[in-house]
Amino acid sequence: MGLSKTPAIVLKSRKWGDADRIVTFFTLKHGKVRGVARGARRMKSRFGSALEPFVHCDLDLFEKQGDSLYRISQASIRQSFYTLRDSLETITGAARLANLAGAVTADGDAVPRVFHALLEGFRAIGQSEDAATTAALYELEILRFAGYLPHLERCNSCQSTATDRWFFSPRAGGTLCGPCARHEPVRCALISPASLAFFRQALRMDPALLPRLKATAPVREELRDAIELYVDYVAGRSLPKSGVLFAAERRSTYRRTPSPVASGNANRV
Amino acid sequence: MDHKGILAALVGELTKLPGIGRKTAQRLAFHILKQPDEDATRLADAIRAVKERLGLCRQCRNIAEGDLCGICQDPKRDQTRVVVVEEVPTLHAIEATGGYKGLYHVLAGALSPLDGVGPADIKAQDLVDRVAGSAVEEVIVATSPTIEGEATAIYLSRLIAPLGIRISRIALGVPVGMDLEYADEVTLLKSLDGRREIA
Ligand SMILES: [Zn+2]
Ligand SMILES: [Zn+2]
Repeated sequence: MGLSKTPAIVLKSRKWGDADRIVTFFTLKHGKVRGVARGARRMKSRFGSALEPFVHCDLDLFEKQGDSLYRISQASIRQSFYTLRDSLETITGAARLANLAGAVTADGDAVPRVFHALLEGFRAIGQSEDAATTAALYELEILRFAGYLPHLERCNSCQSTATDRWFFSPRAGGTLCGPCARHEPVRCALISPASLAFFRQALRMDPALLPRLKATAPVREELRDAIELYVDYVAGRSLPKSGVLFAAERRSTYRRTPSPVASGNANRV
Repeated sequence: MDHKGILAALVGELTKLPGIGRKTAQRLAFHILKQPDEDATRLADAIRAVKERLGLCRQCRNIAEGDLCGICQDPKRDQTRVVVVEEVPTLHAIEATGGYKGLYHVLAGALSPLDGVGPADIKAQDLVDRVAGSAVEEVIVATSPTIEGEATAIYLSRLIAPLGIRISRIALGVPVGMDLEYADEVTLLKSLDGRREIA
C-alpha cells in the first residue's frame, strides 16, 4: 500500500520506548490499525495532541513490508473532542465506545458505519446529561453495525412471545423467556417490561434521535447491565465497565483511619 | 547447566528489561562475558545494592534509603504543599528545576477508563489519609495532560475538595520557546483556559 491518507479516530495510545507512542486507530478506509508515532512524547513533537484518545484526525500512514505496524507520518486534528475530558462520566462513556469498536472489529477490516457511529456517539456523550446511558445506546449502534444487532421480539430459543419474566442472554444475542433462561449456560440479565420496551424503542429509532430518549433510573441501569454483559460476550473478554472510575465513591465515603505503615517487601521498589 | 544454558539464562533475564529485544540482549550478554571481571562484578553489585538498600518512602512513595526519603526528612521543606505525580521520574524532573520546595506524593499509576485501571489500583486513598488533618494546605496535581492524567486529576479533586484543602492543577499550555503558530488546537485552547492576569 505504501502511503495512505484516511480519516481516523484515536482509540488508544500507549507509550513505546523512550519517546514514541503506539496508537490504535479506527480508520474510515482500513478499519482498525495500529501505528508507531516516532517522537510523539517529546515536548515539540509534530503530532501535538492529535494522537490523544477520542481525537478525530486526518492521518498519513506508511505501510512497511512484513510489518503489521504502520508508521504514522502525519496527523492533523479535525475534531479534538477535548471537552469529553472534562468529567469522569464523559471520559468513561467515550472510553466504552472506543474499547468496543476496537474489540468487535478485525484489524484492517473497514466498517464505515462503525466509524460514523463512534463519531456520533462522542458528540452525543459530550452533550448528554447522562453520559453512561448515552454511551450504552451508542454501544448498541456499534454492535448493530458490527453485525450483532440484539433480537428482542420473542424468546430466541422457543420463539414464545409471552413469559412471566424476560431475560437478556448475551449468548443468544437477545431475549429469552424465563424457562429457557434457566437452561442458559451463561449469565443472563433480568429485564423488566419497562426496560424491554425502552430497549426495543432504542433499536427502532433513528440513531440521530437517540440522545432524546429519556428513561427512569432503574430502566437505565438495567439497560446498561444488559448491554455491558452483551458487549463482554461479543468482545470475548471483560471490557472496563462504565463504573470503573466510581467504584471507590460508591463503596464508601471517606475513611479516616490512617493507612497501615508498609514494611518489608511491600515497601520495595 | 552447560555454557549455552548459562549464557541463555543471562540473555533471558536481559530480555525482560523494557526496550530490550532478543538481539540487544545477546549483544549485552556477550559484552558482559568479554568484560573484565571487576566491571561485571560492579554491575552485579550495583543491581544488588538497589534491591537491598532502596525501598519506597513510607510517606510519599519516592525512592528512599530507609523509612523516609530525603525530601520527607528535610525540615526545611514547605510542609503545607504537596505535588502529586504519577511516577517517581516526574518527581525527579520537578526536583531538578530547583524551583519547588514543598513535598510530594507518588500515585504509582494513573486512572485509565480505557484499560480498566480504577481508583483501587492507585495510591489515591493514601493521599487523602495523609493530607486530612495534616499541615497540608494545598495539593497540586502534576499528572500528565493525557486522558489518564486528566481523569486522575478530576478524581483527586473530588476526593480532596471536601476536606477543605485547596486543590490545583499545573497549567497546561504552550511550551517555552515554541512558535505559537505551530501549537495545536487543544494546546492553544488549554492555554487560553489557563491564562492569568499579568497586571
Ligand atoms: Zn423460551
Ligand atoms: Zn518521601
